[in-house]
Amino acid sequence: MLIKLEDIRRYYTVGSEVVHALNGVSFQLSKGEWVAIIGQSGSGKSTLMNVVGCLDTPTAGRYWLNGSDVSRMSDNELADIRNREIGFIFQTFQLLPRETALGNVELPLIYRGLRARERRERARNALDQVGLSNRVTHRPNELSGGQRQRVAIARALVTEPSLLLADEPTGNLDSATGQEIIGLFEQLHGAGHTICLVTHEPTLAARCPRAIRISDGLIVNDGPGPQVALETRPERARAAAT
Amino acid sequence: MSLRVDLVEGGRIALRTLGVNRLRTALTLSAVGIGVATLLAIVGIIQGLNGAFNRQLASLGTATLNIARHPYVVSGDWWKYRNRKQLTLAQMHFLAQHSQLATAVVPEVNEDGRDLTALDQSVSAVDLVGTLADFQKIWGYEVPQGRFLTDADSDAERQVMVIGFDVASQLFPGRNPLGQSIRLDNRPYRVVGVLAKKGQILGQSMDLIALIPFNTFLAVYGKRDFQIDVAVDDADQLDRLEDEVTGIMRRARSVLPGQPDDFSVNRTQQLADTYRQLTGALYGVALGVGLITLLVGGIGIMNIMLVSVRERTREIGIRRALGARRRTIVVQFLLEASLVSAVGGAIGTALGLGAAKVVSLVTSLAAAVQPLTVLGGILFAAAVGLVFGIWPAARAAKLDPVEALRYE
Repeated sequence: MLIKLEDIRRYYTVGSEVVHALNGVSFQLSKGEWVAIIGQSGSGKSTLMNVVGCLDTPTAGRYWLNGSDVSRMSDNELADIRNREIGFIFQTFQLLPRETALGNVELPLIYRGLRARERRERARNALDQVGLSNRVTHRPNELSGGQRQRVAIARALVTEPSLLLADEPTGNLDSATGQEIIGLFEQLHGAGHTICLVTHEPTLAARCPRAIRISDGLIVNDGPGPQVALETRPERARAAAT
Repeated sequence: MSLRVDLVEGGRIALRTLGVNRLRTALTLSAVGIGVATLLAIVGIIQGLNGAFNRQLASLGTATLNIARHPYVVSGDWWKYRNRKQLTLAQMHFLAQHSQLATAVVPEVNEDGRDLTALDQSVSAVDLVGTLADFQKIWGYEVPQGRFLTDADSDAERQVMVIGFDVASQLFPGRNPLGQSIRLDNRPYRVVGVLAKKGQILGQSMDLIALIPFNTFLAVYGKRDFQIDVAVDDADQLDRLEDEVTGIMRRARSVLPGQPDDFSVNRTQQLADTYRQLTGALYGVALGVGLITLLVGGIGIMNIMLVSVRERTREIGIRRALGARRRTIVVQFLLEASLVSAVGGAIGTALGLGAAKVVSLVTSLAAAVQPLTVLGGILFAAAVGLVFGIWPAARAAKLDPVEALRYE
């Protein structure tokens, strides 16, 4: 089992009020699986993504990632886990504007302490993998949205993480470009990568083999993608499934 | 991840950031630069002053004691010293006979602010000294032209004179003073020697001086209060010499046991102590001003760094998400702050050196900056950046990665 969450709770204090973002979430994810986490805004899916991505620690519950209990880890250990185990892909790409595509892809390898030559080689390979070998020296503002997201995916892949964690990866892209990116995810899934994709788009979730629906901080459904996506928005999900 | 990686990567980021925000970098640089320049110019002037003073003091002779009715520097009760009995020649001879350590004992009698004239030229405010041949040895005077006074000059009460460098150049511009006649208080003196230039101490020329034989002085100006200068071979023996001289003088002047000395034994070291007292407070104020300027520069850095942290909140979030530890972020911002400051320090050092140079050219102060001070200036600036970068860097590291990634 790559991921195992056991009764994960996450409470925030906003002013004098305690917000229950996650109310006891448990699920497991095997190596090579592709799961969509779907839910409306405020459902707790972003909080769940932050916990799974080791950016946030749960208030209660246990979380095992690749065999180690990350729910009890220190800040430094979590930083190292993020570097080794997680490849983030964000809605807003989150590239450093002053770095070239290559520089951006190299970044996580710097924090791993690799030498410059090896970093560069691996970064070039990763850019090659996403079809951007001819955009190596471009800065983000010289790239299209789709190209930027490819750079971000290359940055996520370069560390050979055990989990790719994508947060609304098509949210800032037009539909055609979004399709390309989803196509890329399908390729990566085919190559054996484990992918966790957070989205509010049923059409996107319907394309995943498995989907988990979150509502009010609880898992309300967990099953095959088209079926879970179909449940709340039948007409759109059906359209996507056919 | 190792600290080495943190430092290398942090340094790379810092260098790049400085190049991006040129105006901001320039403003920060100038804040620190002005502080360092001020501080360095002040230090330079102080070092120059001290160096000059110490050289002058050494030229006065360090292995010499002066016995007089009053100390070199009178503080407080002037009357106590005035009412002391004058020294006598008999006491001086007694001292010369009984001292084992003294290599020379010579009387010295002074008259300040004399006017000297020669032909059509005149010079005023000359220190007149009446003394004997050993005076030259004790105070280390060099006589490149002519000769010094002899004891025979004194015995015969000759009207001869040895003049300081400034007196010679003002009375006999472009001419050889030797053998010329100088009028002093309506008496003619023949110039037999010219002293080498000695320079200034505390802004006073040491070369506006004229020496005449001791007995000639007494004959012309009547019996005067005189001082005794005593020399010893080695400055290390000064303490022993002082003990010996004090004992002999107490006997010579019949001071009863238990009574305080009715004379003063002076050292040139006392001048140095007084100099430090006088100038110490001044230096303190000047350094304080320099430090405040640097403090203002430091606060400027802190301000800029806080802005920089805020501006790069998202970047910090990205770096943290990709595996940067808090320490990595701290090191990155600390390096940035100290790098700006160090560059500012280097510029300030250049400005400060320039200012010190200008001061030494325009005024008679020999402002000197030692090489170590330059390095110190740059390192000090970097340290200022480091200190004032701590808070912004800590704020950057404390950012929650989730919040930072969401920051617009």
